[in-house]
Amino acid sequence: MKIQNLAVLFIIIILPISMILTSYTQNQVKTLGIQTSYDTKLNNATHDALKAFQLNTMNSDTSDLSNSKLRDIEASANTFFNSVASNFNMAGYNQDILAEYVPALVYTMYDGYYIYSKYTNTLDSTNSNEVIVNEMTGETDEQSDAEILSNDREDVTYKQNQKLAGLKPYIYYSCRYKYNGNDFVITYSLDNYITIQGMINVNGEMKWVYDAGYLLDNVTGDITSSGDTYYRGVKIDTSESLKECIDETKKEYTYIKVNGVKYYQNDDGSWFSILNGSRYPQQNFVTQTNAGIKYYREAEAFKRRITNDYNLGDLNASHAVDETGASLVELDANGNRTNIPKLGNYKIFDFGNMNGTSIEDPNSNFNQQRLAVIRYSIEKNLSIAIANFNDYSGVTANFQMPKLQEDEWDKIVNNVSIISFLQGLNIGGKVYNGYSIITNNKNEEVVSEDSIYIISKNDSQYHRANDVELKGKNNLEGVFNVDLEIKSITDANGVAKYFIPKQLNGNLITGSYSSIVNQTGVEQTDNLYQYMANLNTQNPRLAQVYFTALGRERYSSYKTYNDPEKEKEKFTP
Amino acid sequence: MGDTLMTVVAIALAAVLMFVFPLMTMSDRTDDVSQLTVKTATTEFVDDVRTTGKLTMDKYSKFIESISATGNSYDVEMELKVLDENPGKKTTQAEPNKIGENVYYSMYTSQILDELQNKKTRSLKEGDIFSASVKNTNSTLSQQLKNFFYSVTGNDTYTIAAEHAGMVTANGIGK
Repeated sequence: MKIQNLAVLFIIIILPISMILTSYTQNQVKTLGIQTSYDTKLNNATHDALKAFQLNTMNSDTSDLSNSKLRDIEASANTFFNSVASNFNMAGYNQDILAEYVPALVYTMYDGYYIYSKYTNTLDSTNSNEVIVNEMTGETDEQSDAEILSNDREDVTYKQNQKLAGLKPYIYYSCRYKYNGNDFVITYSLDNYITIQGMINVNGEMKWVYDAGYLLDNVTGDITSSGDTYYRGVKIDTSESLKECIDETKKEYTYIKVNGVKYYQNDDGSWFSILNGSRYPQQNFVTQTNAGIKYYREAEAFKRRITNDYNLGDLNASHAVDETGASLVELDANGNRTNIPKLGNYKIFDFGNMNGTSIEDPNSNFNQQRLAVIRYSIEKNLSIAIANFNDYSGVTANFQMPKLQEDEWDKIVNNVSIISFLQGLNIGGKVYNGYSIITNNKNEEVVSEDSIYIISKNDSQYHRANDVELKGKNNLEGVFNVDLEIKSITDANGVAKYFIPKQLNGNLITGSYSSIVNQTGVEQTDNLYQYMANLNTQNPRLAQVYFTALGRERYSSYKTYNDPEKEKEKFTP
Repeated sequence: MGDTLMTVVAIALAAVLMFVFPLMTMSDRTDDVSQLTVKTATTEFVDDVRTTGKLTMDKYSKFIESISATGNSYDVEMELKVLDENPGKKTTQAEPNKIGENVYYSMYTSQILDELQNKKTRSLKEGDIFSASVKNTNSTLSQQLKNFFYSVTGNDTYTIAAEHAGMVTANGIGK
């Protein structure tokens, strides 16, 4: 064969191969490119959702209350879908269509979480426990809701068994424990606050216990009355006078915060609270709050109740049971029960640990259990929600919960966060299956150790508590970081006004360049309690201000357990 | 005589066809794959920094390692725009989210790397903007082959490039 023919033959063979190879690699490149760009877009959409939640709750006076919180979360979910729609070039598609690809959105809150997902809207078909009196006719209605609906009503928009997307009921971070005849549930939170509910043997007698409090080691001194109270050797301030602005006029009002609500004092000594821009008169309160010291005193009292009254000192993580009362154990590869406890095997209330670990330290047994419970609960409910999504979505994709990484769980169990899932989108030869976790530590939900900022009054700057610049300073004030954020109020004419609540005699407090704007002057620590305790010899005032502010803000935050009237009484003169 | 010339031309042509052409296609594909690797690595690096708020030496070295694995050398440029809300706070009665009210100042690659070398980590905060862009600095095989046929000159003759940027969504300090 001539060499020319050979060349032609060669081209005939190589050209198609090369062309196909080119288009194949380019397709792969494109697919991977789309995948990474989708990851970014999902991150952005989730961040938008979190930002919406943050803005709404910060500017709302009632964000602690569950119906108000629900509204904020619904709004945040809408933001998410809008953002997905515009980011993914799917503008024009409404939420219902996009919801086909979003098996679940998870909002982790202070003591539980919401899952936004599809559900079947159903009225109950049995009339048990229902006797409804028709107020118009005086007749008693014994039909079930579903029967009433089937009777007449062409005007109702409700449709039985309609599939809707919305928030499912709130799920607490709770775990049931059973041992020595005790049978109770502990609800954990994003910090060291717990609620105990159930039958507990109290001094030889089985009693229904409903108790809650913060878990702290290292509280010493007088915990009952007016004496000094120490935390990690730092003396806690007995009372503080708090002031902040409530509108754009730079007038500062004395206030105290009780159960998540701020009460302000007028010049004439009367008190009021603010709801949606209007002032409502309130009872009188003390002008100096002692919430800071109360936090430590009540934590110590709670600790004593747990160890002495309820005798829960030897409560072990292996005592955890599921809803049927069977102990929680790991399953082997075949799905059979093993003897390995699911949530570990160690003492949960390990007060005064031998190794020097305090119960509130990040590496304590209690925190290990807290993380395990939160993670187990979210994993379980979320995987159910996502698996069930196959029944709801018209998209032919197999929805499965992805396995989240350890460091991602770490973020989730310590912060308010949104976890979003986007699955089933076709990205050219592959099906997109992504998730995004965005966390936030600037909100009114939780007072974390990092959310206490320190104001240095001499130079009108606020700092992170572990800013090195703070070390030599004494004229300090501890403040919740949310109070330094710009808030808006709408006046009677509908004009939005902006202001920063926390000011110093009408002067703005700016962020420190070493720890707020630039975070380079911050000493790295993963245990701020210990950091402050170590600092006590160098700068006792800083430690004192920090611990007092942390106690005050935690104590005065909203708790479901609290009786609002009783909380107010504590601060009534 | 003519026949011999034809044969020489044919051999030369065949050599080009049978060696240079496949080599060019294959090196083009290699560049495609490198491009893909670099693009993915850059996006992952930036998104990781964005969502955790932490830029560490560890993350940076891992990123450099994964792009260097493509066999080329790269010029990596990073820019960190630090949000300074203080000027915005001082302007009374201004809409805080209006564009222009917030001031950013930038830190560039060498400054960031200096800091990483000294402190191993740099914490970013919510609202900062982080970006990275990568270009190859060597000429890849495919570029060399192309230069053989038609010369491309100039400073910016890179074939592999990627960039990614975005707003930081989490605060790097704390849990």
